[in-house]
Amino acid sequence: MTVAAGIGYALLALGPSLSLFVAVISRKPFLTLTLLSSTLVWLMSLIALSAVWRAFLPFKTATWWPYSLLILTSVALQEALRLFLWRVNKRMEEMLDAYADRVSKPRLYITDKMQIALAGGMGHGVAHAVFFCISLLTPAFGPATYYVEKCSKIPFFLVSAIMALAFVTIHTFSMVIAFNGYSEGNKKDQYFAPVVHLAAGLFTLANLVSGGCVVGIPLLYVMAIVTLVHCGNTVWRRLTDNRSMETNLQ
Amino acid sequence: MESGSVLETIGQEIIGVMAPVSVCMLLVVLLVYTVYNPSSAAASATTIRTAANLVYMESPTDSTVQKLEGAILNAVVFVVIITLVTFLLVLLYYYRFNNFLIYYTRFSVFMIFSAMGSSILISIVQRFNIPIDAATFYILLFNFTILGTISVFSDGIPIIVKQSTMVVLGIIVAAWFSRLPEWTTWIVLVALALYDLAAVLAPGGPLKLLVELASTRDEELPALVYECRPNVGRNSGARVSNSGFFVAAGVGMSSDSHNGSVELQDLLRNGDRGTAMEILQGEDLVIPIDEDDRTSGGEIEEVREEAGEMVPLMGDGDSIERGSGNSGRVDNSRLSRRSEREGIEMEDFNPRGIKLGMGDFIFYSVLVGRAAMYDLMTVYACYLAIISGLGCTLILLAVCRQALPALPISITLGVIFYFLTRLFMEPFVVGASTNLMMF
Repeated sequence: MTVAAGIGYALLALGPSLSLFVAVISRKPFLTLTLLSSTLVWLMSLIALSAVWRAFLPFKTATWWPYSLLILTSVALQEALRLFLWRVNKRMEEMLDAYADRVSKPRLYITDKMQIALAGGMGHGVAHAVFFCISLLTPAFGPATYYVEKCSKIPFFLVSAIMALAFVTIHTFSMVIAFNGYSEGNKKDQYFAPVVHLAAGLFTLANLVSGGCVVGIPLLYVMAIVTLVHCGNTVWRRLTDNRSMETNLQ
Repeated sequence: MESGSVLETIGQEIIGVMAPVSVCMLLVVLLVYTVYNPSSAAASATTIRTAANLVYMESPTDSTVQKLEGAILNAVVFVVIITLVTFLLVLLYYYRFNNFLIYYTRFSVFMIFSAMGSSILISIVQRFNIPIDAATFYILLFNFTILGTISVFSDGIPIIVKQSTMVVLGIIVAAWFSRLPEWTTWIVLVALALYDLAAVLAPGGPLKLLVELASTRDEELPALVYECRPNVGRNSGARVSNSGFFVAAGVGMSSDSHNGSVELQDLLRNGDRGTAMEILQGEDLVIPIDEDDRTSGGEIEEVREEAGEMVPLMGDGDSIERGSGNSGRVDNSRLSRRSEREGIEMEDFNPRGIKLGMGDFIFYSVLVGRAAMYDLMTVYACYLAIISGLGCTLILLAVCRQALPALPISITLGVIFYFLTRLFMEPFVVGASTNLMMF
């Protein structure tokens, strides 16, 4: 609608990530590199998906099952990617530990590992926000706005910014949970991320129905809050366990 | 936590290089998007004539085949011109015309700032209706031009001024080059990437000759380089030619790591070493500088011993690769010079940090600027591709320890991602997103 509105939408989607970035990630250059690489990986997964699905788009049917298939395959690919990222992360941690030994510095703390997971998750989240929301914001800087017929009460840009915010949260924190789960071998945590991701993706299908976004978006936010809370609990538990372990050792 | 862990400082140099590249790309995209928007009538009417479209001026009405052929012809001519000029530069350097090179570089910087820069500024003023009068404009322009020209090769200027000058130079030239017609731009970029590969790695390549000349003479090349330097004491004695450069990548930690910022210092020259590098566009060469002859995995210990007063090195992500990998002998390869028309990307791991050539800045920004003329989604994709290409090149540099071209990987990735995004990803994502279906 104007430059102010455009910037507003962009900040709505990416504001919390920006503050997280400035406060946590930009302090340590390695985390910025992690963020950039995970963004790249997410982009590559998106390109792969679109290369596969390009032949079938645009969907001519009005039924919902092709869309759910789309979401299913996309989420499946991205979760497989998460596993792959975990392997790479493990290797990277080993290399960093070896390096730390060589330069006689302490090994990676638990908070360091969690910060790396956070940066990785934020890379995914930022990539989602950028490609699904920000790159479409260019018309918002102009004098008019755009409404989608299925969700006609609020402008499209606002809706996509709100959804992007929810997804950013989900991506960022489910990566922390997932990495924690993999490193501890906790099955519940390991399955948490794919389930939440799939659920969130499927909830957006509700937007295909007219007026569906009234239902879909709050559900999406429920998922985001669940992720946040669970991540907070997991991290808290891990840190207190760690601290008690350290005090037991002394 | 108690004491800083490894995570605090690793990767600092890489970020120190990526940050200005990102800034340059961002500003070029903004410039292209607001001022040179191709949808506006003014932009399409004025196509510039440069060396890159001497032969064929592309117009939108030509057929595809014609455009392709014309673009290839343009690219060939451009590469030939650049090769000739590079050989001329090698010749000049060989016969020790260093001062000439320095003065010519200064002249070029002056012209870029004043002529090309003023034209861009005028477009900005017109676009945003900024109320400024001619006298103020000229005074300000003159002021910044002189500042930029002086800061390029002098020793006493704060490094931040030098860096900003480099970035502004990159922006100006890249903004100009983005105005080339579309087919020509892409084909020229690809041709330059190939040329860079050949010029740096092939036995007779001009850039390789330059590197060897400079290393045998133990001098620095006069060229336009962006340097980012870690926080170091001004013990320039450490700039000793022989023991001089250690591969910073090998050394993870800085001994005064309390100071984490990457500060820039004026690296270059003593007066007797003529160093003038200029690059306006062109190739990129990546050269690691390290003269560490030991072959052990423990680089940091080596550096500590030899360094003495030397610059503490900043950590960097490549040290991981390096540590686990190889430690062959390294030869003294120096920064290569750039020809006037060529930007050599020098990735030089000296203890003061990494250096990057102007040509890289320029051509990365040209790619991103051209992507901006299509859509912002391609911009993000190309940005990520270029940054990852740069990272890969830095890692390769740490592994190979010889002069490496920096353009090929990034440009290849950038071009691939651009076309993939444009053809595949955009319909998919836009379609999903406008239906409010996200994952």
